[in-house]
Order: sequence, then structure tokens, then C-alpha cells
Amino acid sequence: MKQRIERFTSTERIAHWMVALSFLYSALTGLALWSHRMFWLAAVFGGGETVRGWHPIGGIVFALLLAFIFRNWAAQMKLDADDRRWLAVSHKYAMNQEEGVPAAGRFNAGQKMLFWLQSSSALLLFASGLVLWFPEWMPRGLRLAAVLLHPVAAVASIGGIIVHIYMTTLVVPGALRAMARGWVTPRWAASHHAKWYRDLDRR
Amino acid sequence: MIETVAKLVDTTLCIGCKACEVACQEWNDQEFTTGVFRNTYQTLPDLAPNFWNLIKFSEHDINGEQHWLMAKYQCMHCADAGCIKACPAPGAIVRRPNGIVDFVHENCIGCGYCITGCPFDVPRLSPKTRKVYKCTLCSDRVAAGLEPACIKTCPTNCLTFGSRNDLKFLAEKRAEELRKDGLANAGVYDGPGVGGTNVLYVLKHADRPQDYGLPKDPRIPWTVSLWKGPLKWLGNTVFFGGLLAALVHYIKVGPKEAHDEAEN
Repeated sequence: MKQRIERFTSTERIAHWMVALSFLYSALTGLALWSHRMFWLAAVFGGGETVRGWHPIGGIVFALLLAFIFRNWAAQMKLDADDRRWLAVSHKYAMNQEEGVPAAGRFNAGQKMLFWLQSSSALLLFASGLVLWFPEWMPRGLRLAAVLLHPVAAVASIGGIIVHIYMTTLVVPGALRAMARGWVTPRWAASHHAKWYRDLDRR
Repeated sequence: MIETVAKLVDTTLCIGCKACEVACQEWNDQEFTTGVFRNTYQTLPDLAPNFWNLIKFSEHDINGEQHWLMAKYQCMHCADAGCIKACPAPGAIVRRPNGIVDFVHENCIGCGYCITGCPFDVPRLSPKTRKVYKCTLCSDRVAAGLEPACIKTCPTNCLTFGSRNDLKFLAEKRAEELRKDGLANAGVYDGPGVGGTNVLYVLKHADRPQDYGLPKDPRIPWTVSLWKGPLKWLGNTVFFGGLLAALVHYIKVGPKEAHDEAEN
């Protein structure tokens, strides 16, 4: 049997897939309201009134789960000097060139940036979403800000997730299995997260 | 071509009788919600889901003179309607060929974006039905060749119904008359910032519409315009450009294969 290294604990994996599902629901029902041309998505999720009623609840579930993930991961997501150098040559990483790309820890700088992008946009989505949920109780100034900030944050977060899903399903074979079943091979770890692999070895 | 219809409110002829409020409630079969007396000649403090036409009453001291200002407040039926711009549900808010902005409640999802999009803050969300309501300019009566209920009942001819062009002409003429009579600031209020409203006002103090409870320079809020304009383009570029970029990247660059260093 191939040697297995634990990459994500079961708690991390369950939290990830719950947040992924609630994100997908919130994003798709949100996109239904983004443009008249995408309103057909509302029919998929039970009609316009159902979407209006449940999108905020999906959003609350997403925000709570993300807060849990944030608590678990925030300390590991701080950018170090290597990460900053990684970001400076991220175009090389994108083109699959390995020359001059610093070795990554448990999370590479791209993943860390995604974490901060999702956390900050979720905070913005949550705050503006509360305002949009109960327009009848909210002062006009807040509503005027919320109708702009909510879609701004949504565009940022959906844009980030498009990259995230593409990377983990198609660009890095083994990443999806790591998040689903929790393990990777030593070869995988050494290739994609060399610093993390070395630190594991030392222990 | 169908002519754009409009209401003319000549505030100089309003005696504050509130017959138009009652007629509106009666014709639209609205339950009347009683309020608390607030030491004012205004019936209710604000519009409500079941109260679409309010005579705003305000007292103002203008150049040492005491003024009782009354202005009918309801949906303005804008040519460039902020509610329509903000509404995410196709067909929930429509602009009829005669210029009436109408809510179609079976398509309304109750999000309340129209309330935020409206420069006049007119639509009201009903907690009971979770739908939004406002003046229909009696589109049902107008379709049958009748004038709106408020206009039918007005005892002083303060309210007139007709084609917008005719009423604009009448309003300007009346304002000129008033200016000749010594009311130097008399003028017409019809919201040029929203492409013109289909409710026109003749005001004695057209230089200070806010004193009547009307916004000074009504425009679709910039956050709503930004959201429905440039942001929508940017967002669509991110969504569809992102998917396209992923496809091109996969074909041209492809996956990162793990290498064998670890086993060496």
C-alpha cells in the first residue's frame, strides 16, 4: 500500500464541505438575483419568493461555518517572507514553472490569499446581507451602501472560488482527494508543499 | 402612439381636506390603520403598504412669514424609474406604455430593493404578504378610460389628470401666473433628474421643494446606478472571464504533476 500522510483532519474536511455546500447554495441563489438573465436559477431553487426567503439563511449558515474555519486556520494563514516571494513570482507558479518559486508550507501563498479574500468578503457579505434581509427596519443610508457592497463582495468571493475549484479539481491532481479523504502521498507533499513535508519529516 | 398620462398637483389650490386620501383607500379597498394624533394636520406620519397617498403637511417660516405647506405624496411614476432599475425579479415592476409604473404582485419576490432604488422613498413592504405596494396611478381606472380616484374626488381642482404634455403646459402657465402675482419663486417640480416624473407639481416655493417634503434634486441613488451599471459588467467579466480563463489555462498549461524527488 502507498504510504499516506494525513493532510486534513476529519473536522477540517467536514467543515470545508459544509461551508462549500452553503457557499454554493448562497452563490447560486444570489446569482439568480444578480441579473434578469440568470433569474432562471431562481426556478431551480424553488422560485423567486423561496430564494428571497432562503438565500439569507443559507448565507448565515455559510458565515457561521466560515467563522469556525477562520478560528481553526487563521494562525496558519499568516504570510511569511517565503510567501511574499512566492506572490512576487506567482505568474511562474501559474505557468507551472518551478524554477525560483519558493517552497510552500502547509498552505501556499495563493491558498492563504484565498483564505483572506473569502474571510473578508464573507464579513462584508454578512454585514450587508443583514441590512438587505430586513430593508423595512434599516435606515436608508445603510441600505444604499449595502446594495453596492453586497454584490461587490459577492463578485470578489465567487471570482476567488472559480480559481479555487479549478485549481483543486484540475490543476493539482490529488488535492481533491486530500480534502475528501484527508490523505496525500509523500510524493505529492514533497512536490506541492515541500516546506510542510520537510517539517513533517523532522517531527 | 399612446400618450403618457400624468397627474398635476397645484399645491396652491390644496386645502388639505384629505378627500384624495380617502378616495384612494376606498377605490383600492384598503383597510385603514389608525395612528396616534401627533399635533399635526397630517393624517399619518408616513406612507404604508396599505396607504399609498399622503398629504404631507409642514409649517415653515419663510422670510419671516408663516407658511402651511401641503403636498400630495405618492409614487411619482418616473420616466427613469429607480425601482425598476433595482428590481431583480423580471416583470415585477413594469412601465406601462402610458407611462404608469406598476407593480405586478405575482412576480414580486419581496426583496425590497425597489424601496432603496426609489429616489422618493415611496414603495412599502407589507410584513403580511411580503410584497411591496405603492400608488398605481389607478392603472385599472385609467385603462377603463376613467381618471384616478384621487383626482375624481378633489373638490378644488388642485388635482388634474391628463396627458403629460398638456399638464406640463398648464403647470408652466399656472407658475407664470403666480410669478406675475408676486410669488417670485413659483415654479414647476417634475424631477428632470429621473427623466421627468408623471406627477407634476406647481409650488409657490419651487426653490425649496424640501420644505414640502419633496427631495431637492431627485436622482436614482449612485450606489444603485453603479451596482446595475459598471459593477454588473465587471462581475460578468469576472464570472465568465474566470471560467474561460480556466478553460484556456487547462488546455495551454495543464495540471501540475507531482515529481519523484521524495522517492529519491
